[in-house]
Amino acid sequence: MINDYLLLSITLFTIGLIGFLIRRDLIVMLMCLEIMFNAVNIAFASFSYYSGNYTGQIFVLFSIAVAASEAAVGLAIVLALVRSTGINHSDGIKNLRG
Amino acid sequence: MNNSPVEQVFLTYFYISLTVLSIAVISSRNIIHSAFFLLILLLHVAAVFLMLNAEFLMVIQIIVYVGGVLALFVFAIMVMNIKEELRHRRFVKFAGAGLLTGLLFFAVFYSVVKNSRYDFVTPITSDTVSFGRLLFSYYLLPFEILSLVLLVAMVAGIIIAKKYPREEK
Repeated sequence: MINDYLLLSITLFTIGLIGFLIRRDLIVMLMCLEIMFNAVNIAFASFSYYSGNYTGQIFVLFSIAVAASEAAVGLAIVLALVRSTGINHSDGIKNLRG
Repeated sequence: MNNSPVEQVFLTYFYISLTVLSIAVISSRNIIHSAFFLLILLLHVAAVFLMLNAEFLMVIQIIVYVGGVLALFVFAIMVMNIKEELRHRRFVKFAGAGLLTGLLFFAVFYSVVKNSRYDFVTPITSDTVSFGRLLFSYYLLPFEILSLVLLVAMVAGIIIAKKYPREEK
């Protein structure tokens, strides 16, 4: 039934959310974003399966493309931050204008 | 309608393994171990897509996530050359508040999802032909806009991560 897949989806989303909130390393925070994207994709695909049309799968395709561009830009920002200040932890960033 | 026994076995396996793998991603001390656990997690999610009759998404998941995004993560870890991960602490100071927020979120969504029903007619069959027809007819404009988004993200990534010459004071 669909609630099994939705339970899987919200469990993954919650673990990704908790990881995003409590980890210090910026790269692991981006990995938690990827976990949350995957949880939402499972929910989309299960709604698509149980409702019988393909629109949910197309939204998963769009979501994967947006996640790829998000990872590229996010890692570039982290790389620029590490290069300019040497900080790679989220609680070490203290000034906005580096 | 209930699950068939085979589907139930696979669902239980994927539930347990995805939970364990995601907890391993957020709690492992070494970043490269997190990346490898994320690799196995993404492959398991691809298998869940296959259970949902979405075999095109399975292929896209393996190509884009495992081949693209994860390679980007490993490359970024290599470029940043992070070594001192073994001694310092992993979590922020207010980790308990984050954990509580996450558990509250889970409780609210679980109370919604627990009794959800969907009275479907027929589940979709795995049919990449009609998927592609829908993508290239009705969703053609979002698809083209998406190519623009990817181009802008690529240019932005290159410009942000570029090494500028150091300014003279």
